[in-house]
Amino acid sequence: MPLFLKARSFLRNLFATRRAEVDLDQEVHSHLEMLTDENVRAGMPPNEARRAARIELGGIEQVKEQVREERIGNWLQSVLADCRYALRQLRKSPGFTIVALLTLALGIGATTAIFSVVNSALLRPLAYRDPQQLYLVREIVPQMAEFYPTLRANIPDFRIWQKEVHAFEDVAIAEPTTADLTGHGDPEVLHGVRASANIFSVLGIRPALGRTFRREEDDSGRGHVLILTDEFWRNRFRGDPLAIGKTMTLDGAPYEIVGVLPASLPFPQVLGGADNYSRLAFFKPLNGMEDYEQGLIGEFDFAAVARLKPGVTQQQALAELNVVQAQIAKQANAGVDLLGALLPLETEVVGPARRGLLFLLAAVAAVLLIVCANLASLLLARVPGRMREAAIRSALGASHGRIIRQLLTETFLLSFAGGALSIGIAGFAVKWLVHLAPPGIPRLSEVHMDARVLLFALVISVATGSFFGIFPALRIARSQPVDALKSGATATTESRRTRRLREGLVGFEVGLTTLLLVLAGLLMASLGQLLRVHTGFAVDNVLVASVDLPPQSYQESASRLQFYDRVLAGLQSLPGIHAAGWVSIPPLAGEGSVTGITIAGADQTRAATPVANYRPVSPDYFAAMGIPLLQGRIFGPADRDRKIVVVSQSVADRFWPGENAIGKICVTQWGPDTPAEVVGVVGDIRTVQLDEPPIMMVYVPHWFSPISVPTSASIVLRTPGDPTLYAGPVRDLIRSIDADVPVTTLRPMSQVVSHSLDARRFPMLLAMLFALSSLLLASLGIFGVVGYSVEQRRQELGIRLALGGELRDLLGMVLRQGMAPVVVGLAGGIVTALFAGHLIASLLFGVSANDPITLAAVALVVAIVAFVACYLPARRAMHSDPMTALRYE
Amino acid sequence: MSPEPTTLLQGTLDLLILKSLVAGEMHGLGISRRIQQITGGTFVVKPGSLFPAVHRMEEEGWISSFWGDSENNRRAKYYRLTKAGRKQLDVETERWGRISWAIAQALETS
Repeated sequence: MPLFLKARSFLRNLFATRRAEVDLDQEVHSHLEMLTDENVRAGMPPNEARRAARIELGGIEQVKEQVREERIGNWLQSVLADCRYALRQLRKSPGFTIVALLTLALGIGATTAIFSVVNSALLRPLAYRDPQQLYLVREIVPQMAEFYPTLRANIPDFRIWQKEVHAFEDVAIAEPTTADLTGHGDPEVLHGVRASANIFSVLGIRPALGRTFRREEDDSGRGHVLILTDEFWRNRFRGDPLAIGKTMTLDGAPYEIVGVLPASLPFPQVLGGADNYSRLAFFKPLNGMEDYEQGLIGEFDFAAVARLKPGVTQQQALAELNVVQAQIAKQANAGVDLLGALLPLETEVVGPARRGLLFLLAAVAAVLLIVCANLASLLLARVPGRMREAAIRSALGASHGRIIRQLLTETFLLSFAGGALSIGIAGFAVKWLVHLAPPGIPRLSEVHMDARVLLFALVISVATGSFFGIFPALRIARSQPVDALKSGATATTESRRTRRLREGLVGFEVGLTTLLLVLAGLLMASLGQLLRVHTGFAVDNVLVASVDLPPQSYQESASRLQFYDRVLAGLQSLPGIHAAGWVSIPPLAGEGSVTGITIAGADQTRAATPVANYRPVSPDYFAAMGIPLLQGRIFGPADRDRKIVVVSQSVADRFWPGENAIGKICVTQWGPDTPAEVVGVVGDIRTVQLDEPPIMMVYVPHWFSPISVPTSASIVLRTPGDPTLYAGPVRDLIRSIDADVPVTTLRPMSQVVSHSLDARRFPMLLAMLFALSSLLLASLGIFGVVGYSVEQRRQELGIRLALGGELRDLLGMVLRQGMAPVVVGLAGGIVTALFAGHLIASLLFGVSANDPITLAAVALVVAIVAFVACYLPARRAMHSDPMTALRYE
Repeated sequence: MSPEPTTLLQGTLDLLILKSLVAGEMHGLGISRRIQQITGGTFVVKPGSLFPAVHRMEEEGWISSFWGDSENNRRAKYYRLTKAGRKQLDVETERWGRISWAIAQALETS
């Protein structure tokens, strides 16, 4: 029964408030009347009686409020009332509400989205078991240390470590590999990893499906099994669990699929994974050693990763490793020493990205600071108005806590609405960024919104909002409400201290924005410089088709040569082709063979020999790639079997400065030392990267040595017009010659150049997005603050106008006051940028960290945007009628 | 002048209101005067305390209310004890007996 009664009261209090209120009002009034009656009966004159009754009652509204607070459900009731009131307040000043909402939504949304993409695509930490116990094992041959400070590992040494180094719980090795997949439509080149069977147990990874490798699958002939990556399994087998047990044909041999790895497994390059721009498809076990892999010293091809036993320090493990290395060197008896090195895996993987991460975190912090500053200055602008309101409320019986609660409700409402909007914006922005990102960025498919950043950003902004939101209440607490009430109309101008603070915040925002814009601008200018750099080869009207010859049918170099010859002959018959040639690796597609070059009779130790980049080419390659012949001639079929080379300008300058290089003899160390005659000198090119100066190049003909006909090569085609028009015919031609040869890439050289900059372009884009969001936020802040203060000063401005003030002067005054903090902030930002620019100097190319053009452009952009943000609200207020303004209250 | 009104112990006000209503239905001012009378002027219950208390007690179901005419023909809200209210009065009386006995004991102990 009482429970039922309570529920009824609760519902009545919630919904039948009007009737309950009328009831209460009547009850209190009748009480007052009866008190008055009593006093009259006691002989008081009526006026006196009424006054005494009122004093005894103690304030009608206060009594009613006390009763309300006793009611069941009062708490919910008053929160709802607060919310309704807050909504009304927010609707009353739409300018403030919209600017604050946009600030929150854009600021939090953009930060969350950008951070999420970068964090999950580029910086995600290693998801291995106890990653701090994992170390990369590198070998050191002191005699080779000048050119190769540390080396990767080889299979025989790995086998010895497994047995002899007891500080290792276990050690595993892995190397990147490729394989031609046939039997499923067009042949395809897959990137994979060849690893020791224990690789997954060392890293602490369990397969999502099937099993990992068995120990015996490292033995020769037993390793025809595959574990697929989640991505490849989903693409190729549509995520079908029945893929386990199926057979795939790699390089002509059957492999059984035994497992599928979990999604989002990071396998970085330092562990033997493929580079960032190709996706891993499979893992296969060692399957024994090849003949060339037997030696104890040499073929250091494998990344080795060791898991230290618990409690073993890096020093202890290294000491033991070095003892074992010394034994290996002794056993090998090759006249070289052997040492080891242990590098923490986490540092090796995350290390290079560290600067980027710090830069990114700084940018996130900057944008969040701007969000907070915006909120703070918007709320501060409202302080005078709100103080008056709070004073009235307090005079009407609201307790101090109640006023604070009301103000907090308003801020919370705003923050949560902004937060909800920001989740939408972040979700949209993540999709957009993923869409925008170059295809090479790894693991983009797994990008998801980072809940931690979202939460952090939300908490920060709610905290800021709350702090500045209850400012009026705190100020009221320190003063008598009477003062605020008495000040009446003058309360609409804010105190000097609040204005200083607000101007400081605007200046701070502008400064941060300027800094971000300068840094992003410098990155963008670098990219522009790189695109204009003199490459040394033709970028336009060149088509590059890379092919990978399946080893089973192209074992012999003669068969490979025949294939290339037939392709070139076929291309010559296409209409309009200027030139066609092949090269082992085209510019900007990889490093290739870098090894020693010297001149006959030079007395140099092997270690000090300069190195050059060796590339086998067909004679027409230079014409097709647009590399100019500077001296002599290109080799041709007539030179067959002669040891001759074409070198780049830098080789000639290095060995025969001021002389004619033609006819000179150089000793190549590509394979066994071979003296070769220089027949031609060609121009230098940016071979490996656009931002590195040209390196020495040695071009050799296909007959130069047994390794001069590569198993994979790029066909280069000089076309009369748009090279993409020739993509189809080239593909058809290659298929007609051998349908089993996969075309790995087919794209114009301009695209190769552009893709080589992807690693720079995406961070630049992100930095730009950060800078632009902060510019947008800062201009919103200026817009909001100027707009609100003009609104507050409407009366003052109206009086000035009515007294004959010139519209232009008033506009000028408002603009001057609005722009003053902008100018200060801009100057501060530029000065900071002059110093901060040096921090990113290593990321710049062709522009100085103090590039005056960038600085000037940024200053101009910030000034214009800030001016517009000031001008729009100022003009709107000026164009209103002075009479309305005067009446405005 | 009457002595300074004593601050009411938590729960004491409820007991006094319940007790005053035993005599019959009463409006707010009546309750207040009745308490003053039965406590010999020791307790003066101001409207600011009385109204929140009676409204809370009505929500608890101890008393019920109706509108009626006062002795001077004014419309007034009257309160009367319910069954639950009588039970509550017994509970409160018993509790108060225990408390006052305990306090008396404590004060007698030297």
